[in-house]
Amino acid sequence: MQTPRPGRDILDRALRASWLAAIFIALVLAPSHPYDALSLLAGQLIAFLHFMFLRKIVKLFTEKRGGAGALIAIKLVLVYGGLMALMSWGRVRYAPLCAGFALPFLALFLKSMMLAFGAGPASLWRRPRQPVGGSGVSGAAVIAILFVLAAASPALAGPPTVTDTPASSKTHAGEAAIPDPSHPQPAASAHHEEGAAELPNWLVILHDWNPDNPVITWLDENQVIVFAWIAGFLFLFISWIAMRNAKMVPGVLQNAIEWMVESMENIAGGLLGEKHIQRHFPIIGALFFYILTINMLGIIPGMKSATSSLDLTLALALITFLYVQFWGIRNLGIVGYLDHLAGSPRDAIGWAMLPVMLPVHVLGELAKPVSLSCRLFGNIFGEDTLIVVFVGATAMLIKASLVALAVPPMAGITALFMMLQTLTSIVQALIFSLLATVYLYMMLPHEEHGPEESHA
Amino acid sequence: MLFPAALGLGLPIGIGLAAIGSGIGIGFLGKGAMEAMGRQPEILPKLQVAMIIGFGFAEALTIYAFVTMFFLQGRIG
Repeated sequence: MQTPRPGRDILDRALRASWLAAIFIALVLAPSHPYDALSLLAGQLIAFLHFMFLRKIVKLFTEKRGGAGALIAIKLVLVYGGLMALMSWGRVRYAPLCAGFALPFLALFLKSMMLAFGAGPASLWRRPRQPVGGSGVSGAAVIAILFVLAAASPALAGPPTVTDTPASSKTHAGEAAIPDPSHPQPAASAHHEEGAAELPNWLVILHDWNPDNPVITWLDENQVIVFAWIAGFLFLFISWIAMRNAKMVPGVLQNAIEWMVESMENIAGGLLGEKHIQRHFPIIGALFFYILTINMLGIIPGMKSATSSLDLTLALALITFLYVQFWGIRNLGIVGYLDHLAGSPRDAIGWAMLPVMLPVHVLGELAKPVSLSCRLFGNIFGEDTLIVVFVGATAMLIKASLVALAVPPMAGITALFMMLQTLTSIVQALIFSLLATVYLYMMLPHEEHGPEESHA
Repeated sequence: MLFPAALGLGLPIGIGLAAIGSGIGIGFLGKGAMEAMGRQPEILPKLQVAMIIGFGFAEALTIYAFVTMFFLQGRIG
């Protein structure tokens, strides 16, 4: 992998890609929503200035040259002052402003992912060997296509009225709900309507922006499913990229993935034993990585952890439950399974306790999926709620024009809680998969371990 | 006493009590694990896994209270 030339590093490319995307989106938006387009460009400009000053300041600091203080002062005035001036200007639209501000970060994120996948710092245009694959441009293109679709679709749904028409959107919701009544729509919409605090993700923003589109309405009502799909495809995509051409001497990403899988296998294997882990690791590892991806998705702004809904966690817990019971019956046999449920009565006291022990064990088995799902849901939802509370407090302070009080301390606290959220995501994914392992271990025969441990 | 008022008073207290219990449990677990690690550092990886599982069980009790609060929250107002 060649080193980037000094003037054209990854930041330059990311910024250029985000400028292209911003100008394109602004051009699309400009005829119908001129202020949205202007706000988007303003946000993009602020973020661009921020990056430029940051780079200069870091350069001055690393080369131990003077003048950094003056530059910091200029940056404070220009960037934060500009942001505050924009916010106090009545005409500005917040959502496009935030989107424009986030675009360079998104492009930088996509570019760094691209670099991590080993694509290398290639130019945007001269890159014949790399087809579609997560560069800043393709990410921006996806966003642009989404926006174009959203902008074009009112023609399908009716007159492009900006004002909210609850009646028409209700009918669309009804139509969209008919094709599959089995999906947990009531729960999702109940979450929505009772106003359980949630940060707006891009589906909500899209829906607010264009409430008449049936597709967007459907997506908005099934957010949990959509985000679970996104996480699943992301997970598949990363694994596919990493293992596309696996080598004996692994590259960066292959090495990372192999390390993660191997350490997870070691942890679960330490509980389950060498013999069983070979057979059961696929589901345990899949649970761990899937839940981890879903949890981590919630940290990205504009995304949502699908595990902050009980629907998904209950589904995962039920899968685990059925798997464990299936392997229990298969390993112990029907009689052995019933014997296990009855607490393995061997003597008179055991048989006498049977009417008590059987319900206790059955209830214990049934409590496992409830406990698994509630634990995951409660943790992730709790973290999300915590962050929402702090973001809400920040927004209230900004509304009361106490920006100086709001932004540095409150945003710092929020960032701190987001780091905590990262930790929670990893730990909860680990706990879920390890508890599944333990439940499986209780069901599997393990005579070969028993005597040694009792002697020791 | 009105039902919503009782609920509004009781839910936070219940969560607090559950958190006290979980905190004591996690504290004991961490204490035991730390002492064992100090005595026998080579057992660390196995111990950490067991400790995290124990944390999960202890913490789950607060989470149950939290989930209960979440389900009953709508009936306060």
